[in-house]
Amino acid sequence: MPSPLPYQAPAADARDSIAVKGLAKVYGAGADRVEALGGIDLTIPRGAFVTLFGPSGCGKSTLLRILAGLEEKSAGAVTLFGQTPETAARAKNIAWVPQSSALLPWLTIRDNVLLSRRLNRRADRDPACVSRPEDADQVLRELGLAEFAHHRPAALSGGMRQRAAIARGFVQGAPLMLMDEPFSALDELTRDALRLRLLEVWERHRKTVVFVTHSAAEAVLLSDRVVVMTPRPGRIEAVIDIDLPRPRGRDAADSPAFDARVRAVKDTLRRGWEGEE
Amino acid sequence: MTGRSMREEAARAARNRAAAPRAARLIAPLLVFLLLAAGWQWVAFNLKSILPSLQSVGLELLARPGFYLGHLWVTLSAALSGFAIGSAIGILLAILIVHFSVLRAAILPVALMLNVTPVVAISPALIVAFGFNAVPHIIVAAISAFLPMLINALTGLRAIDRDAQDVFRSLSASKMETLWHLRLPSSLPHLFAGARLAIAAAMVGSIVSEFMGTSKGIGATIIMATAYLNLPQMWVSIFVSAVTSLLLIGLVDLAERALIRWS
Repeated sequence: MPSPLPYQAPAADARDSIAVKGLAKVYGAGADRVEALGGIDLTIPRGAFVTLFGPSGCGKSTLLRILAGLEEKSAGAVTLFGQTPETAARAKNIAWVPQSSALLPWLTIRDNVLLSRRLNRRADRDPACVSRPEDADQVLRELGLAEFAHHRPAALSGGMRQRAAIARGFVQGAPLMLMDEPFSALDELTRDALRLRLLEVWERHRKTVVFVTHSAAEAVLLSDRVVVMTPRPGRIEAVIDIDLPRPRGRDAADSPAFDARVRAVKDTLRRGWEGEE
Repeated sequence: MTGRSMREEAARAARNRAAAPRAARLIAPLLVFLLLAAGWQWVAFNLKSILPSLQSVGLELLARPGFYLGHLWVTLSAALSGFAIGSAIGILLAILIVHFSVLRAAILPVALMLNVTPVVAISPALIVAFGFNAVPHIIVAAISAFLPMLINALTGLRAIDRDAQDVFRSLSASKMETLWHLRLPSSLPHLFAGARLAIAAAMVGSIVSEFMGTSKGIGATIIMATAYLNLPQMWVSIFVSAVTSLLLIGLVDLAERALIRWS
């Protein structure tokens, strides 16, 4: 029997939070039926940085893709600040940051970052659109890419390309950013630097972020809340508030308090999932 | 040692390493070429009915350059028109197939059937249908160019980055926007690979179709040479068409390098 969740979702105005209720995702049917997600209940208040944390196969990316409207749910309800994922996507209210940078190699960094303005112009007149596009040059400066604005992606390192992908997300000006393990392909040193950079820029823009990761340290460093997920079927084991003070800088990860949170997150995961050799 | 001089040193070492293979890359094909030429001359000397001597081929070309240029122009214009038409249809059909999967089952079998039908078998029918003019040759060239373009365009239009596709979908980009801003630019390398095959195929198509029903074009000069057992004329025709095809492929390469500057 799973123990009762230590975290109770607060009742909030639907327009001011992301609400997921009874969400399930099933692939296939009959003998091939795989339950990727089951009984997911989650509330994320506006402006929060929330991480979906868990091992591969726990459905964290699937949950993120359902939030983005990139994948259909099998059951349950999802609203993003009062809108369905489909409505939100049609109005360009969701900034999606994928695992690879997915920059278009034939465009300059600046043009890549402005992609959201080039596509789906109908959305700009859509009353459902609440995105407020940000100044591309300003965001590029914040991410240390100003001098590469007119370079093509091939001229940039992996870390810089990932920063450009994050810049593309912020420039869209959407209230919600969904980030699917954006640092997982980078080396550790670059990853460390990029986490701090992301925090810095996020402090300035304060978007609601849902961030997928399989690193407990990354989850604790970045988030207000860590959603610990376990596999087969993918479900939420617990939601852990991370009460470390912000802004979190270079030394945030050096404190005993930080280590204690990381341990708590890992222990919570271990309670629901034995791991596999 | 400063950083700069170390870099220069490294660059010099790289150049030296590259020098030897580069010389080898030039000498090796030259040797093969000389060996082939020697073998050719041996056959030409001993079995006169099989190959003409290289000097007689060279002299034939020098004696009548205008004759060959004129016929080459006829073949080339049919090949280029056919290439343009065949590629355009190939790319358009590929775009349609990618967007409407029903069409895939409808179009591909017909396209493959067209591909396995020998062009020599179609051209008499085309001459009957369209008369003794350039049209049958252009159609044969277009049919030859069509399939390599269709197959490569299909591969290219499908070979798009999944993450980039997710970004486009998350922005609710329309099908037209995704085609124009993602699929087509992504597919350019494949389109050029298709163009290389298609342009050579169009040349072959127009030459083969000129074997029949015309007195103009390189195909016709080959047939004429056969009738008069004129081996030098036959081989000049063959060389001229081969060199032209190579030049056309080279032009496609140049266009590709001019257009794709991001890799």
